[in-house]
Amino acid sequence: MPAPFRRPGGRTIAGLLAAAAVGVALLRLGADAGPAGAGGGAQALERLVRGALAPERSPAYLLTVAADAAVTAAYAVAAMSLATVAGLVAAVIASGVLLDRAWLRAGCRIVLALTRSAHELVWALLFVAAMGLSPAAGVLAIAVPYAGVIGRVLGDRLRDVDPAPVRALAAAGASPLSRLFYGVVPQVAPDALGYLAYRLECALRSAAVLSFVGLGGLGFRIELALRDLDYARAWTPIYATLLLVVLVDWLGARTRRRFAR
Amino acid sequence: MRGAAVGASSARRTRAALLLVPFAVGAAWALVLAQPAAGPSPLEPAAWRRAWTFLSRLLGRGLAEEPAFARPEVWARMADLALGTLAMSVTGAALATLAALLTVPLAARAREEPARGALRGPVRACYVLARSVPEIVWALLLVLVSGPGPLAAALALGVHNAGVLGRLFTDVVEDVDPRPGRALATAGAGRVEAFWYGTFPQILPQVLTFSLYRWEVIVRTTVVVEAVTGSGMGAALRLALSGRAFTTVTVILALYVALVLLVDVLSGALRTLARA
Repeated sequence: MPAPFRRPGGRTIAGLLAAAAVGVALLRLGADAGPAGAGGGAQALERLVRGALAPERSPAYLLTVAADAAVTAAYAVAAMSLATVAGLVAAVIASGVLLDRAWLRAGCRIVLALTRSAHELVWALLFVAAMGLSPAAGVLAIAVPYAGVIGRVLGDRLRDVDPAPVRALAAAGASPLSRLFYGVVPQVAPDALGYLAYRLECALRSAAVLSFVGLGGLGFRIELALRDLDYARAWTPIYATLLLVVLVDWLGARTRRRFAR
Repeated sequence: MRGAAVGASSARRTRAALLLVPFAVGAAWALVLAQPAAGPSPLEPAAWRRAWTFLSRLLGRGLAEEPAFARPEVWARMADLALGTLAMSVTGAALATLAALLTVPLAARAREEPARGALRGPVRACYVLARSVPEIVWALLLVLVSGPGPLAAALALGVHNAGVLGRLFTDVVEDVDPRPGRALATAGAGRVEAFWYGTFPQILPQVLTFSLYRWEVIVRTTVVVEAVTGSGMGAALRLALSGRAFTTVTVILALYVALVLLVDVLSGALRTLARA
């Protein structure tokens, strides 16, 4: 006999809880909002869309934006070079593939969680407040949380490897270091490269907004144009950000396909 | 034979491309360090002395009055702002999920479906634009439309993350079993009904999972977006830093980390619940 009433599944409960949370959040934000602000409304929106459809394309301005794009790309690559090295070391420690000590693994995981818990621009605010405004502070601000997330994700991936080749190497008398390089690394290399390419894409987006703390790059050009309410000039660097991100996305997909074979 | 030759040459090209990486990194560092600076470089000891002073001020050293973290009323005020930030992150995630869900039937091409749908290209292009432009830039733009305040922040978070989720949902829809939707269509259902009753129930678990994961990212970003739109905990953090109210900064940072960890735990619990 079919049950007259089916107990709601976890999925239904999770969905209902999420919907309730959204309701409460909207009530709270409604209380925060207060009277309508001093925005430009429909008129500003129209000019914003017009600017998106006809961005500034004079050769001189395109050259300026290209130089800004190079600066943003340089911040992203420099930050990723630090984050990759630190993240890979942290991944090896956190996964315990080389040296399995519970306290070391746990300590590494706590440090990684702490670096990940703040957004890169919050780190940037802190680094600038602590050390003064310098380009290296911008690089560190991106590198610290990115090392945390790379260490976490690749550390989890290192734990998921097939143990058979590693055990075979161990049986043949290989040292822990050669077990890592010949048993574990070949298994994770395609995934790791793909993930690092994705992180480089994120780093480009983060580097583009380092103007938040007063550093140069595409975001600086966007802020400069918006201060003059010149939407056509604002959209050129926005589209440059888009191009950089799409380019890295495409390169990452290519690299992953190459290594997947 | 030929395939092997092509494979070897492409492997050689890949290796050559990887050899370029050190040069790219070197050039990037050279360009970054050539940027103008208004303070000492972190490579100089002066920078680390400044950092040490900053850290001791965060802990309330050399302060004439009572530090902010010893005053319950500061905690109460900042905790209230943190709740507002939590509400903002939930709203941003909900807006993004809703926008992605409403547009994904236009963007995705279900398996074995004939190549139809003129809007597929434009909707996917919108996802790429929304995703490639950071939340902060959307906030800078939208603040000029709706004025400073929570509305601009919620919209900025919603737009960027709708692009991220739209791409993920598209992949999910394209992997779905097409038979329930086709059966509904055979029984006379329109495309909209076939999606909501045939496809949507299949993608719901993954939609919940992806949205919850995204919520964890969004709560970290909300503070920064709020700093741009001049509302909530983000604006308070910026104000405290520029006003050199360092012990207030400590309170805000503690609440920020607590909020992020709380959302990680809540999201994990809801994901486990949704899998049950």
